[in-house]
Order: sequence, then structure tokens, then C-alpha cells
Amino acid sequence: MSLTMDAKIATPTTHAGHTQSKFHTFVQIAMVLSVITGVEIVIIYLPIGKWLVVSSLVVLSTVKFLLVIFYFMHLKWDKVFCTILFFIGLVLALGTVAALLALFGAEASAPLTSQILHHSAPVIV
Amino acid sequence: MSHAATIDHHHDVTTSTGIPNKKLFMWAFLASDCMFFGALISTHLIYRLHPPPGSPDVSKIFSIELTSFSTFILLMSSLLMALAVNSLQKGHVRSTRHNLLGTIFFGLIFLGCQVYEFNHFVHEKGLTLSNSIFGSTFYTLTGTHGCHVAIGVLWLVLMYIRSFKPADPSRSWLARAIAHFVVFTITTVAGTAAVLGLVHTIQSHESLSVFIDHHLLATSTTVIGLALLTWFGFSRKPVDFGEANAIDVESMGLYWHFVDIVWIVIFTVVYLLEYL
Repeated sequence: MSLTMDAKIATPTTHAGHTQSKFHTFVQIAMVLSVITGVEIVIIYLPIGKWLVVSSLVVLSTVKFLLVIFYFMHLKWDKVFCTILFFIGLVLALGTVAALLALFGAEASAPLTSQILHHSAPVIV
Repeated sequence: MSHAATIDHHHDVTTSTGIPNKKLFMWAFLASDCMFFGALISTHLIYRLHPPPGSPDVSKIFSIELTSFSTFILLMSSLLMALAVNSLQKGHVRSTRHNLLGTIFFGLIFLGCQVYEFNHFVHEKGLTLSNSIFGSTFYTLTGTHGCHVAIGVLWLVLMYIRSFKPADPSRSWLARAIAHFVVFTITTVAGTAAVLGLVHTIQSHESLSVFIDHHLLATSTTVIGLALLTWFGFSRKPVDFGEANAIDVESMGLYWHFVDIVWIVIFTVVYLLEYL
């Protein structure tokens, strides 16, 4: 059990220096995240190729994602097992998304229209 | 005083993995939650690949300004959450409380924006949960995310109240904590109703007297609630909350940041791609 006063507690110099630098790192990361979000919003209105916009959005979102998990969620400083554990779930999720999109994105998976359904329906006598 | 300045917050020698059990549990949970949201996002995308005839024009329904604002708010709440963990790892309880309150406030703004957005979509754009496949997948995905945010806000509030637990075990605390929580809840609900009422009044170009007539109870409850919360927040006595509790706040922070990264994906996949 820790008994602490509400007042600021002195910490050793090295510890304080480490956490102080973290404070600045977090603020800088937040600024970078905000700027990237702004760029994402601007980029969808640019008169450039659709594939380029989509690729840029994917890259920018991935950068934001990685910045949050490695800095805000401390993966950069934690044991590598935490990263492995999280990435197992993430890879499985991405694999599921990719597989489902590949399956349902195929032309044969396009839903039948009502007209086709009408023509292909068996005749009931 | 705390002797916790020697605590190593990234390694725990008492566990076989070297990782605190609470943190390990949270990472395992988040990994499973990734798959949950992966399934929801896939479902939304699959139906967007083949929209049935008569599907709504989504780019005319969405408000990119509101969604961008929500995204910015959630990112800033993540910053405050990271600073709260950082403060408690240094043993700064008051700073931790301030950062937790900031995170709660930003989380509530995000939820308010989502409530406003859903209300706008249903009543003005005619997009409901059941009148189109897009509505079904959109509300399921963003609503599930909103539920995660709401659970996160509840957890933050409980942790904030927990930070006032007195160090002296002979002092009664439970009744005060429950009262603190009830006041917090009532103030939040009343405050949200008052702010949404104000937004509605401004949008309808009505006068301030109309707002006061309709939302006097909500506004006065909010003011009284805020005064009570300020009173509850004044505590200079020793508390049983410090650097040793940093792992609790960090686990909660992991959950909160996860909600943020899910929104990063939703913002791009569900909202931005619709404008192409």
C-alpha cells in the first residue's frame, strides 16, 4: 500500500529526467497526430489519382496507429512480448479483413439483382 | 510519503514474464478486441463494395467538419491520458487527477458529438438502423465504438473517485465515494442535456430566453453539480493512491488509447474513403 500526500513528491534525478523527456515526447507526438489528421482531411479534396489518395490515407493512418501504440501505449519501453501479443490479435484481424474483402470483392460475389432473380427463379406449375 | 520512486514501471520481477499481470491481461484483451472490430469493419466494407439499389448518397449525409473535430478531441484525450499515467508514475496525484478530468471531459465531448451526429442522421437525413444496409453496418460499428468510449469514461470517473481514498483506514470512505459518483453522473447527464439544448437553440435561431425556459432544470442542476464536484475535489489529506497505483491507471490508459486507435481506422475507412 502506498501512502502519498497530494503534494508533489521528489524523485531521483535520473527518474525525473526520464519522465520529463516523456512529457515532451507525448506533446510532440500529439502535435504530429493532429497535423497528420489535418493532412488526411486536405488530401481527399486534392485533384490527384484515387489510388494515390487511398495509398496516402492508408500510410498516414498506419503512421498514426503506430505512433499511438508505441508511444502513448508505451510499447516502445515495455517488454517485446506485449508487442508480440498485441500483434497476434492485430494480424489475425487484418487477415480476416483481407480474406473477407477478397472473397466478397470478387465479381462472382456481387449480389444478384431482382431482375436476374426473377429470370432464374424456377417455374412453379 | 511514497517510497515508490524505485518502482520500474516497465518490468516486474515478481512475474515469470517480467510484465505486470494487469498489463498482460489488458494487452491480451486488446488483441481479442482487435478481432472484434476487424469483423465489424469488414462487414461494413463488404456491404459498401456492393451497395444495393436505392442506397443513400453517403457523402451528402456525413459532416466531415464534425467528424474531424471528434477525431481531434479523441487524439487530445489520448494525450491527456498518457500525461495522467506519466504524472502518477512520478507520484504527482493532483496532476494525475487534473489529467483524468481532462480526459473525461474530452471523452464526453466525443460522446456528445456522436449523439448529435446520430440524432442528425436519423431525424434530418432519414438514415436509421433498419432502413438500409449502410445504416445497419454504420450504426453497429460506430455505436459499438461509442459504447467502448462510454465504458472508458465510466472507468475514468471511477478511477478519479478512487484517487480520493483516504490513507487512514479508520475514515469512512465508501458513502462519500458513492455520493461523489452519483453527483458526477447527474452533473454529466444534466450538462450534456444543457449543452445539446443550447446547440439546438442556436441552430434554430431561437433566443436565449427560449433556451432558459426549456432547459432551466438541466442548467441549474449542472451548476449545482459542478459546485458539489469542486467541493468533493478539495482534499488535502493523505490518500491511499500513488505511484504504486500507476499500473492501474496505465491499464486503463491502454484501453483508452485502444479506443483512439480504433477511431483512427474508422475515421479513414468509414468516413474519409466515402469522399473519393
